[in-house]
Amino acid sequence: MAKSSDEQRLELLQGTLDMLILRILQWGPQHGHGIGQAIRSRSDELLKVETGSLYPALHRLVKRGWLKAEWGISEANQRARFYELTAAGKAQLSRERDRWSQLVDAIGRVMNPAASKE
Amino acid sequence: MRPDDDDLDEEIRGHLAISMKERLERGEDPKSARLAALKEFGNLTLTRDSMRRVWRHRWFDEADALVRDLRFALRSLSRAKGLAATVVVTLALGIGANAAIFSVVRGVLLRPLVNRDEERLLYIRQSEPGISRNLTFSVPEVDDFKSRVKSVGAFGDFSTVDFTMIGLGNEPRIVKAGVVGGSFFEVMGLRPVLGRLLNARDDGPDAAGAAVLTHRFWSTSLNSDPGVVGKTIRLGPRPATVVGVLEPSVPYPADTEIIANVVTSPHHLGATMVTNRTHRMTELFGRLAPGASIDGARAELTAVHAAMVREHPEAYSPKATVNLTVTRLRDQIAAPARTVLIVLLATAAVVFIIACSNVANLILARSVRREGELAVRAALGAGSGALRRTLLAESLVLCGAGAVFGVVMARPLVALVAGYAARFSVRALEVSVDSSVVWVGAALAMAAAVLLAYVPRLPSPHAPAGLGLATGGVRITPGTNRRLRIFATMQIAFSFVLLAGAGMLLATLVAMQNATTGYDMRHVLAFDVPSPATGVYGPKMIEFYDQATRRVSALPGVEAASVGTTVPWRDGGTMPRLPFAVEGYTPADGEQNPLGRLRMVAPRFFNVLGIPLLAGRDFTDDDRADSEPVAIVSQAIAQRLFSNGDAVNRKLWWTGATGRSFGPQQRRRIVGVAADVDDENIVRSPALTVYMPVRQMGLAGRLFVRASAGDPYTLVPTVTRVIRDIAPDQPVERAATLEDIRAAVLSPDRVNAFVFAGFAGIALLIAVVGVAGVLAFSVSARTREFGIRMAVGSAPRQLLGRVLSEGIVIAAIGIAAGAAGGYLLALVISRLITSVQLPGAMPVAGAAAVLVSAAIVASLMPAARAARVDVLQALRSE
Repeated sequence: MAKSSDEQRLELLQGTLDMLILRILQWGPQHGHGIGQAIRSRSDELLKVETGSLYPALHRLVKRGWLKAEWGISEANQRARFYELTAAGKAQLSRERDRWSQLVDAIGRVMNPAASKE
Repeated sequence: MRPDDDDLDEEIRGHLAISMKERLERGEDPKSARLAALKEFGNLTLTRDSMRRVWRHRWFDEADALVRDLRFALRSLSRAKGLAATVVVTLALGIGANAAIFSVVRGVLLRPLVNRDEERLLYIRQSEPGISRNLTFSVPEVDDFKSRVKSVGAFGDFSTVDFTMIGLGNEPRIVKAGVVGGSFFEVMGLRPVLGRLLNARDDGPDAAGAAVLTHRFWSTSLNSDPGVVGKTIRLGPRPATVVGVLEPSVPYPADTEIIANVVTSPHHLGATMVTNRTHRMTELFGRLAPGASIDGARAELTAVHAAMVREHPEAYSPKATVNLTVTRLRDQIAAPARTVLIVLLATAAVVFIIACSNVANLILARSVRREGELAVRAALGAGSGALRRTLLAESLVLCGAGAVFGVVMARPLVALVAGYAARFSVRALEVSVDSSVVWVGAALAMAAAVLLAYVPRLPSPHAPAGLGLATGGVRITPGTNRRLRIFATMQIAFSFVLLAGAGMLLATLVAMQNATTGYDMRHVLAFDVPSPATGVYGPKMIEFYDQATRRVSALPGVEAASVGTTVPWRDGGTMPRLPFAVEGYTPADGEQNPLGRLRMVAPRFFNVLGIPLLAGRDFTDDDRADSEPVAIVSQAIAQRLFSNGDAVNRKLWWTGATGRSFGPQQRRRIVGVAADVDDENIVRSPALTVYMPVRQMGLAGRLFVRASAGDPYTLVPTVTRVIRDIAPDQPVERAATLEDIRAAVLSPDRVNAFVFAGFAGIALLIAVVGVAGVLAFSVSARTREFGIRMAVGSAPRQLLGRVLSEGIVIAAIGIAAGAAGGYLLALVISRLITSVQLPGAMPVAGAAAVLVSAAIVASLMPAARAARVDVLQALRSE
């Protein structure tokens, strides 16, 4: 069972993790575990982020000033680091969103030339 | 903002806790929930490291480790303060001496000149082999080069003249001036800092008199007065306008105060100067034409020169070929200092080697004591890299401290060494402390640090014997012991070379100082009183000197006074030796006429200077231009050229062209024989000297005054006043007793001896510390052995003797190696750079004696300690 779900799972495209994190945090501050779970559930279990990639990415985004981190208490009554979008982070998200739709559009034209002509 | 390591750990723990709690809520049992959470997380350490990397570069961690090691090194060194201090001082001496000398070497030999395109500047020199004197060039020769040579774009000429200058400063002064043609500054590629320099319009006999001040003269004597440009001054009889000030540059060929155009010097406009091919007083510079190489220019100049010699055979000595050498100006200027600087640098390098080997010794001894600690660390899993890093950190701390002190020490040393080197090359005057001192110091420290870190042997993690040492006992392996001894022997060997060299210089100095001179040194004052109008010979001048002598002689406190041409040592050597012949002596076939020193003296000269007349009479006031030509010869001439030394009433005459030009070609009657003196060399050798009367030659310039009692210098103001009464514009300069003149001439030798003695002293000190250290270590490591020896019946005196003899053996081997090595070194150097004088038996024996006694002194303390070993304690010590 586990094997089949692993096979269905999609590899995350290079560079999209940052965008996903920013997107998830639009709904409000969240800790690392929560962000991972959110990506998983919102993608209908198709995307699974490795913690080994998630946490370094979070720290990188904090360093760039797109997120800020604060210690808080989780719903499970655990001390956890909560990440929150900054103003710069919001701007970055909209930039990445635009870039992403352009990319999807461009790739779509290449893959379906007939559809794009219309 | 930046999370620290605890934050990272806590974040990961929080993640795991939340993940586990979710699984518990789903109903998994705690154990499997925990395992699943961990499994899902993946590699904890790796994730944590990648989080860290976001904030801190890998480099920080390496640096962290090094800082930790350095801190550890500081702590462990602070427990061995004596050792650390010794090492730091030793290294500071080595590094400081090297940094100082290197920055002088760089300044003098390597740095480019300020002149534009200085690598294209040439210096052209004409000389006769045998007489190494620079012949310089005559104006016709310079003109030939200018018209025929194509690979040199332009030539600049320079000659030196003494002017009496009036108009700058309060008193009339004699200034050393350069006289140059219009192309000189263009060829040299120099710029003015004020006004303009001399150019083609200032050339020739019809230009107005113009002079440029050198920067040194302007800034030191005139306080950088900006209003000086435009002033009119008098140079001898002629006026000149100051047109500008030269930028700071190396004064070459002569350190002059002003540089004037040709029209200021009547002599330069005269027929002799312009047309006489043998009237050589011009220095020649050239600038390579575009595209020409120095080799090409050298070949062309040599060819043109050879053609000149063929066309004018009468102007060149038939017996000796005249050589032409062409060098880059920079090399020409630095050449005299090169040997001495290279020797200094080599000496400093030797001191550095001694210092390093001494430090290596101390470190080695220390590392043997630390073998236990290192073995424990190796056993606990420290790799050999980590162990080396520990050692490296320690030597870095030591060498860094050594470098800091060394550089601090180097700053005053640079001035000292530069002052010393300035005696050989004017370029040393512009040497200043620069960053090279710092980076040489740092480079040497790094080299020493790496070297020292690799000297000790690392304990092998596979050798369980290493652990036995962890108990703190010390046992030297034969290998370590041998290394210690080799280093100590090396120090002795190098110190021996330095000591023997310094001993040689000291012996020479002592011999010079103690040599007798034949002069009355204490009571005779010499003055420079140049003739009022330089170059004018004649009755007026003779009258001036007559009057001056008469009035100075009449002063109270003056016993006698006279005039002449040559102050011993100060002026000696400035005049060439001239060939002469005497009646009754025919040179053998192939032998040339003897060369004599020509000196012009007035009556009572011998009396004033305390030179006894051995036969005949002194010159008198009746030996005048219109009376019989006469001469007095030195004892050496009388003895060598006349049977029984019977020279009086025989004839003497000059044979060479220059000698003939001194007066009508006449045979002079020898009227007296004076005792031998040597006014050129400090250590007297019999010189062939011919004295002629001032009154018959019309040339003087030096006044000699013999004081009757007391301090001769008290006479200086009255003598000056008396002469100024006769001629108000007359310079009266450089008053000094013969004793002080000789001391001034000796001072380079004294400085030489002191510099090298200083180095040798440092080396000796380091070597003593080294030998003492090795023996002290060897004794303390063999406490047990000594205890056993005493237990089986050795007397303390025997042990004392044993240790002492070990020290003496080290010294003896070192001295033998040093003697052999030094001899080889001298051979190599004399083949490569210059001839080397080998020290005599005395300095060698002296150096050996000093080193052996130093070794004994150094061994005494450890030896005494060995003799005091307490048997029971020694046996229990392990």
